[in-house]
Amino acid sequence: MSETILRVENLTMHYTTRAGIVSAVDDVSFTLDEGESLGLVGESGCGKTSVANSLLKLLADNAVIKGGQIRFKGTDFVPLSEEEMRPYRWRNISMVFQAAMNSLNPVYRVGDQIIEALETHLGLYSHAQARQRVTELFTMVGLDPALMDQYPHEYSGGMRQRAVIAMALSCNPDLVIADEPTTALDVIVQDALLRQLKTLQEMIGMSMIYISHDIAVIAEVSDRIGVMYAGKLVELASADEIFHHPVHPYTVALMSAFPSVTGPKRELQTLAGEPPNLLYPPSGCRFHPRCPFATEICRQQEPEFKDHGGGHYAACWHPQEVTV
Amino acid sequence: MARYIAQRLLQIILTFFLFLALSYMLLEAMPGDFSQLFLQDPKLTLAQREAIAASLGLNRPPHERFFRYIGSFLRGDLGVSFQYYPRPVVDVILERAPRTLMLFISSTVVSFYVGFFVGKLLAWRRGRVLEYITTVGGVTLYTVFTPWFGLLMIWLFAFTLDWFPIGKFITPRLWRDAPVEANVVFNRMLLTALVVSIVLLTWFILTRRIDTRRRRVVHWGGMGLGLAVVVGIWGASGLGPYALNILHHLMLPVLTLTLISFAGTMLLTRNSMLETLREDYITTARAKGLPEKVIRDKHAARNAMLPVVTSLVFSLAFALSGGVITEGVFSWPGMGEVLLTSAVVQDIPMMMGALIFTAIFALLAHLVVDILYAFLDPRIRYG
Amino acid sequence: MATEERHNPFATAQPAGDGTTLDQQERERLRAQPLWRVRLKLLAGTLWNNWKLFTENKIGLIGLAIILFYAGLALAHPLLMGRVWDPLIYDPVIGFDPLAAPHPAPPSAQHWLGTDPLGRDVLSQLMFSTASEFILGMVAALITVTIGTSIGALAAYFGGWIDTFFMRLADLVITLPAIVLLIVLGGLFTLDLPLLALVIGILSGFGATTVIIKSQALTIKVRTYVEAAWVAGGSHWHIILRHIIPNLLPLTFLYMMFTVTDAIFAEAILSYFGLLNIRMSWGLMIHTTQSAGYLLNFQTWWLIVPPGLSITLLCAAFYLVGRALDEVVNPRLRKR
Ligand SMILES: Nc1ncnc2c1ncn2[C@@H]1O[C@H](COP(=O)(O)OP(=O)(O)OP(=O)(O)O)[C@@H](O)[C@H]1O
Ligand code: SF4
Ligand SMILES: [Mg+2]
Repeated sequence: MSETILRVENLTMHYTTRAGIVSAVDDVSFTLDEGESLGLVGESGCGKTSVANSLLKLLADNAVIKGGQIRFKGTDFVPLSEEEMRPYRWRNISMVFQAAMNSLNPVYRVGDQIIEALETHLGLYSHAQARQRVTELFTMVGLDPALMDQYPHEYSGGMRQRAVIAMALSCNPDLVIADEPTTALDVIVQDALLRQLKTLQEMIGMSMIYISHDIAVIAEVSDRIGVMYAGKLVELASADEIFHHPVHPYTVALMSAFPSVTGPKRELQTLAGEPPNLLYPPSGCRFHPRCPFATEICRQQEPEFKDHGGGHYAACWHPQEVTV
Repeated sequence: MARYIAQRLLQIILTFFLFLALSYMLLEAMPGDFSQLFLQDPKLTLAQREAIAASLGLNRPPHERFFRYIGSFLRGDLGVSFQYYPRPVVDVILERAPRTLMLFISSTVVSFYVGFFVGKLLAWRRGRVLEYITTVGGVTLYTVFTPWFGLLMIWLFAFTLDWFPIGKFITPRLWRDAPVEANVVFNRMLLTALVVSIVLLTWFILTRRIDTRRRRVVHWGGMGLGLAVVVGIWGASGLGPYALNILHHLMLPVLTLTLISFAGTMLLTRNSMLETLREDYITTARAKGLPEKVIRDKHAARNAMLPVVTSLVFSLAFALSGGVITEGVFSWPGMGEVLLTSAVVQDIPMMMGALIFTAIFALLAHLVVDILYAFLDPRIRYG
Repeated sequence: MATEERHNPFATAQPAGDGTTLDQQERERLRAQPLWRVRLKLLAGTLWNNWKLFTENKIGLIGLAIILFYAGLALAHPLLMGRVWDPLIYDPVIGFDPLAAPHPAPPSAQHWLGTDPLGRDVLSQLMFSTASEFILGMVAALITVTIGTSIGALAAYFGGWIDTFFMRLADLVITLPAIVLLIVLGGLFTLDLPLLALVIGILSGFGATTVIIKSQALTIKVRTYVEAAWVAGGSHWHIILRHIIPNLLPLTFLYMMFTVTDAIFAEAILSYFGLLNIRMSWGLMIHTTQSAGYLLNFQTWWLIVPPGLSITLLCAAFYLVGRALDEVVNPRLRKR
């Protein structure tokens, strides 16, 4: 067993809005080992990005961490101030953002934006050395190093995404969080980029958290998968388990909605209803209004997130016994 | 970039001809006509009247008069002023324009700098109380009735504190036995300011690429050296006290104009900065663990500046209006003051001259802003 | 995106401003009513919501309070004249108080704000002038909005040379300082209040307002429902009048506030420099003070502080309301 580098316990995060409190992350716990890749999957608006941003405490003005711990190599991030967080950001944990298209500053050369991170974290002030490093990184992600002196608007979408990945890798972080790194790109580029990301991860030996609403994408690259629903982590297990023995009815629905590539074509069982408004989350199990197996207890009490054997965690009163 | 500038230049020339046409229409639309004004003016001799009437071609058809109007403009002939008769309008403009330029440029630069700086900090530290105070204060300064504000400034700084003279250009007593005319000294001051800013700008551009940690020292050192040289030269020339006297008179109008125009930039910067702070690249900058100051100044403010520079065009017009009023209140003998007096005494050639001057000046400033913008935004520079 | 539309009071396909859609039952109930009544309700609903948004901003409320205060002054003046105040003494233009001499007399029980160099009551002058400031502002704003909206909508809709011409014109108007132009006009013509309102209305109508409204109209033009109207065979005018212009109204309303500020300011400046043909106004009060040689005599503060402050306050008030409305119309500026 390799070492656990990240341990998230009972993380709860709220946004305060004029309409009320949005409980975007509620009591989420998981761990991440060195070199491991974890996928987070769930419908749009279920709080994936909120979890990711909480890990680095990159919170919006209206966001508050209500409770829980984020232990990175033993240090709890939750009580740290912005200034105390700074050394960890990018140096230890870096991110590829969902809106990677816009995550480069339009008025600076792409190379300079990477060099800036190198100066800050590695003290790499010598211009020549820094450029050497950027050349390395660009080659690594498959970009022509000559591009480093160009501005973001001169890049195509795919190139920008690669540059952002190069930037994320620049300080040799222990963990890279990739939040829907490929959604804005066309399918072919998506695939190539994802595979490359996976290769890079294995080559460097860092940990990764992949986030996507598309379980097919997650499946390709993750060792373990966490399924989120309405701000809660409802199931967490190895990719294999999630695929073949899903326990939570929501995962089951997700899996059956996911056309298997290898197996026979199955009926697409669609989920009725919409994901809940996180301003007024349903009582008890947040999935109960849409769950075909819901009973009285589901409406009244929250199911515990517990081990169903062999590190297969799920939060459900009526765990399913299906084999897909 | 060259194409962009050429295109803007063309547009601006087009706009200027539109202006000429409209200004001509205004003259035509004036009730009665030009000649009656002179016929009633007992101060003018018959010869003068005839000269003016002939120069105006009053009995020609309108379109011909229009082309005459354009033609004489292109020849640089704006007619003869009534109130300064027989001085040509262009002559008066050449004497007065530098004074207005000095007032306007110094207050615009200072107010942009201060407004941008304060606006940036306001958006960054969104404290309730501070925000209310500065917003209310800013709006008050922005909408204050300028002459009244000028009077308050005079009351405070000239009467109560006695820091500055009340108005005008120079103290006549001091200049009685000056070796040169005030205008000569003033033009030399203007030249100095121009040379100094060009030299400093070049210095800043040349030293842009050096190591972040040493750059600051180099910049400030260069600036200090430049100032020392200027002070030395003026001191040696023996005109120092006279220049200081003009500066002393300039101070209060500049301060007034700066105060009324900085608030606009401040409020705008604040809004622009608030929008920029929501951009994804700011989150990226935070995620990169950059120091706060770098995120604020290098990433947020640099981008927030773009819309502020765009709207400088609006602020320029605002500051020009403010400048005219300020000159009127402080009797600063620049273009604004001449415009006001000629409007009051109906010195029409002078007034139109001042209007045309303002238009050219405003359009040129517009062009400068456009070029500045292109430099600031790589999407245009390399577009 | 969604929020932007949600707070646009005239773009509401869904009624509730807080974003919750009506449930089925409510929808049925609504369907049973005549269309106009539903529309009216929706409008009332959005107005109420926008009002709530507006009141969240204390600065806008301060502005509104100042405006109401001055409106009160304007309304009170005709009531006071003749009933409480003797017109011979208190008339703002031809009144004279022989008992209070020498003039200008400082504030007293009879003359709360003292008298001017000609022996007229300053408070009465101040109150009398207020009404014309309001009328001037409103007329100018209405003209601005009419021009700005129609030109903006036309330029956006038709594009081409219409667009080019009006945008060049707008560029010119924006670049030229309005006060300079007004001073020149004051020199050339005999400007009175209605003419001034017209000129200011035209100037701001063809200037910045048009540019901003045009860019807004462009975004409306590309929105799907306009395209839908296009496909469904609506005529140009139908699309412009029924789809584009109604959606521009919130923005134009916003610009009305700024025009009022500009108009009041311009009037005061022109009167102050003696370039406006007007019987009494705040600017003229300062002009009179100046001609009588009291301008730099700071002991007679009551001659310049009341009108100077009033101009500043009322200009600021409309500007503040405009800014607060800006936050309602343009949700990007708002705090969550
Ligand atoms: N700054 C904020 N203020 C208020 N609510 C927010 C804020 N950011 C996100 N939310 C809300 O929090 C919930 C979770 O959002 P989040 O972006 O984390 O979801 P997500 O799973 O990443 O969705 P997507 O797949 O669309 O990116 C959503 O309901 C969203 O509307
Ligand atoms: S707890 Fe009940 S409602 Fe929730 S998923 Fe399990 S069965 Fe469905
Ligand atoms: Mg997301």
